[in-house]
Amino acid sequence: MDAEIYLDNNTFFHRLDPRTKITVFLLTFVALLLFENPLWMLPVAFLILLQMVVSGSTRNMGRIRYILIVLTVSGLVLWNLFSKGVTPLFWIFTVESFLFSIARTMLMILMISAGMILISTTRNEELVLGMIRMGMPYRVGFAISTSLRLVPTIASSTMTISQAQRSRGLDLDSGGLLERVKKFLPLLVPVFISTIRSTNIFGMALESKGFGAREKRTYYLKLEMRPADYAVLIFAILFVAASIYFFAAGYGRLPGLTRF
Amino acid sequence: MREVISMWKNTRMIILVALSAAIYAAFLIVFKGGIPIVPGITEVRPANVFPPVFSLLFGPAGAWGSAIGNLIGDLFGGTLGVGSIFGFVGNFFLGFIPYKMWGATFGLVTKKDMSQTTNSVQKLIAFEIIALTAAAACGIIIAWYLDLARMVPFAFLAITITVNNFAAAFVLGPILLALLYPRVKRWGLVWTDIMKPEDVAPGMVKNIGAILMIVGSLGGLIVGILVASGLAGQQVYGFTGEQGQVAVWLSVLPFLVLIVIASFMLSGREQFVEEEE
Repeated sequence: MDAEIYLDNNTFFHRLDPRTKITVFLLTFVALLLFENPLWMLPVAFLILLQMVVSGSTRNMGRIRYILIVLTVSGLVLWNLFSKGVTPLFWIFTVESFLFSIARTMLMILMISAGMILISTTRNEELVLGMIRMGMPYRVGFAISTSLRLVPTIASSTMTISQAQRSRGLDLDSGGLLERVKKFLPLLVPVFISTIRSTNIFGMALESKGFGAREKRTYYLKLEMRPADYAVLIFAILFVAASIYFFAAGYGRLPGLTRF
Repeated sequence: MREVISMWKNTRMIILVALSAAIYAAFLIVFKGGIPIVPGITEVRPANVFPPVFSLLFGPAGAWGSAIGNLIGDLFGGTLGVGSIFGFVGNFFLGFIPYKMWGATFGLVTKKDMSQTTNSVQKLIAFEIIALTAAAACGIIIAWYLDLARMVPFAFLAITITVNNFAAAFVLGPILLALLYPRVKRWGLVWTDIMKPEDVAPGMVKNIGAILMIVGSLGGLIVGILVASGLAGQQVYGFTGEQGQVAVWLSVLPFLVLIVIASFMLSGREQFVEEEE
């Protein structure tokens, strides 16, 4: 199993400081959450698409196409059930509720795309160091970066154990709901035991290297904000400020829409 | 909630955060397909057995591990988004409530045997009660926020997350806990073996805190669904249409506040009794 999502390209977005990318990622949420009308979400959608193409993240979007299809189909149907409009379209659907369901679906897909761009263009250690530089305590940063590093290993050993148990006759795909859930036990126990038993040795190794001895620590990796970072940040802030202005002025709403 | 902060001084607790987060995330990723509950919408996630088990064994490290693990699951699974923020908070409570409530389950877990395992019928019942409470708390926290963010309707999401969280914990949790506890105890990694009692919040009127936690979680779930589906709240509160959604936010909010208040009332320090003997 390939759990590595970072793409080792040398694009404009790869070269940006992780703090810039994290800030843009958060600002994207703000811009996306403002509007009910899908037309008003198109500028953000265009910018996200542009980032995706330039950074080469489209390859990773293909990896999650199943999730995206499920979200699109369920989003388009569900939001119609939880909203209604005044202009009939067909069956229980109205023009307003359908437009709203498109907007909500776009919202989810674009947010996932923004997240995918962030992790496709930023190495784990850069992402964590960026968060630490933005105020996260380094002990928390250490826990996150260690987990990030261990996930592919544990995921891979879970797959190996799963295949080993299947070869011994474990059938995870048949039986009732409770029966099938119970069958996961032979997978959970070995993975847990093999991972947790190293805790004490891991702790001693860390403490012998002075982990936690001081409130601040140093890093090999150096982060540096360059002119391109400031330019991207200024553009993102202005874009979000303009979006907020239009939202406050009443644009991007769907007249006649009722939500439950 | 003192221990939630003080545990970061302890290297072994930090490692347990990292390892439990990694295990939870790995299982979330590997079994992302899972067993469908609502075909095409959501599925049983066997990984959801881990937060309550981590919580009872590793205490606050289990809470942080669940929160970070879910975030990493979103990251690797390609579903990182605005929902991940409250997914973090919801999963934190999924791993926080079990260890806080373990010693305040109305006498089901007695001072004579506070061990964090399901070695008696009473403890089995206690486990299921706290697993359900934690599942519902996680469900309403995430659903309330995503409804507020206008992303997913409360009524649909709250019950889906609660069922998702509880199904695996209900079936696998007691067995897994009984299998793992002796080994973790032998390695000296149960949280009460690592932390000091004075680093844990003393709490107050813990049984009332436990009642408030149950009312906050399950009450919030029931009232929120009733109001969201228009069965009660919209008429009772006099809201209609667009404002009906405000009724969902307002009706669930007091229950969320109850969960936070109960978190401060509960302790976990009572579980240190066994070690002192």
